[in-house]
Amino acid sequence: MVQDQKTDVLVIGAGPAGTMTAKWAAKNGAKVMVIEKRQEIGSPVRCGEGMSKEWLTEVGIKPGKWINVEVEGARIFSPREQVFEINEKSAGNEVGYVVERDGFDKQLAIDAANAGADVVLKTAAVEILKENGKVVGARVKQFGQKFEIRAPITIGADGFESQVGRWAGLPTNLALRDMDTCLQYRMTNVDSDTRYCDFYLGKVAPGGYVWIFPKDDGVANVGIGVQVSQVKTTAEARKYLDDWIEKHPGYAKGKKIDMVGGGVSISAPLKQTVTDGFMLVGDAARMIDPLTGGGIANGCIAGKICGEVAAQAVHKGDTSTAFLQAYEKGWRARLEEKLYRNWLAKEKLCTISDETFDKLIDALQGVKLQKLSVHNILKAVHEKYPEVTKEFEAFL
Amino acid sequence: MPSKKSLHIEASGQLCIYCGACVGICPLNCIYLDETRITFDEKICTRCEICVKACPVGAIEIG
Repeated sequence: MVQDQKTDVLVIGAGPAGTMTAKWAAKNGAKVMVIEKRQEIGSPVRCGEGMSKEWLTEVGIKPGKWINVEVEGARIFSPREQVFEINEKSAGNEVGYVVERDGFDKQLAIDAANAGADVVLKTAAVEILKENGKVVGARVKQFGQKFEIRAPITIGADGFESQVGRWAGLPTNLALRDMDTCLQYRMTNVDSDTRYCDFYLGKVAPGGYVWIFPKDDGVANVGIGVQVSQVKTTAEARKYLDDWIEKHPGYAKGKKIDMVGGGVSISAPLKQTVTDGFMLVGDAARMIDPLTGGGIANGCIAGKICGEVAAQAVHKGDTSTAFLQAYEKGWRARLEEKLYRNWLAKEKLCTISDETFDKLIDALQGVKLQKLSVHNILKAVHEKYPEVTKEFEAFL
Repeated sequence: MPSKKSLHIEASGQLCIYCGACVGICPLNCIYLDETRITFDEKICTRCEICVKACPVGAIEIG
């Protein structure tokens, strides 16, 4: 019989949001335990591995061996494959690295451990403990044994398939339109360009896009996201991706060496991410950018705030919903406006035809945008295709 | 009342890649993912088939 345990802050899930939360809670003096159901942090990888980079210093991540390629920009391909290039100057925050996600996650776990947090592997939460409506820890399973870990603060960082949020009583359910079903092959011997992350829009990937994130030595992550509400039969993500590859000789000649699947939320921000004794962070809190599908940056930024508030709550001896509003307000002040704006843009993009996509990209040919914003893009499009921008008046 | 259909999830090595897409979308929170095993709670599942659409590789069959 394993004895029940106690800690100040219990973090469930050792992905980037969880270990970042653990690190900042530990740095601020709390006793922290972060549990991970897998035996190895960061593996298997379930990610396209592209990430922006300007936020890394904000949360205290140093560049390391986990960087595989530093790209110069992104290329957006219209349905007829006209290209719009976004470079670092116009979109600094959206371009960056293609990474080795397992190495990245491990580095963040090392940072958390070095800050004083205990990382506990092979330990899955099976139930949230509640007393008088307040979350007081979790029942966990480790090597076949069940026991309790009690903590004044419990944090759900259990990713897209989060269950602890729902167990704690926070509604995190997604509608079909709020999720993309994703599949990716890691391929070798393909004609990817290590200067660019590529995105293909339109009917090739309804409600999502096809991505090419290049790695070194002719390897690239070739993946797709399709909005679940636009799926008609089974295995559609795979069919769309296989079709796309077949039509592109530079990729059709490649060999698949790895396969990754998963879900990505593309929803508007949640209304509530805290309750008595409990906070939700990262993909579990639906913090994924609904336009790009990227979740790492937001998860880490919110994780830092979450960890700091957790430590403060422990010191003050106040873990009430009212006190934890500091986290709720903190992450919203930093992320919510952009999440909401990108959600609106995504909702619109999900509805437009290939013809309109083609016109949008065509209108941007040769245009030098000072700063990449929906407003600037639409202004440029308006000059050439005023009838197209009528659809987007709400954004102007 | 019609009887519930059985819901069958393909086993390891066949189609399922244990990605968790079905777990995240299940409106009733009744699908569970271990490292190499997907299970679901037959008593809770209403056979709404949302997970079938969410699965990127078509591993979930209701039949």
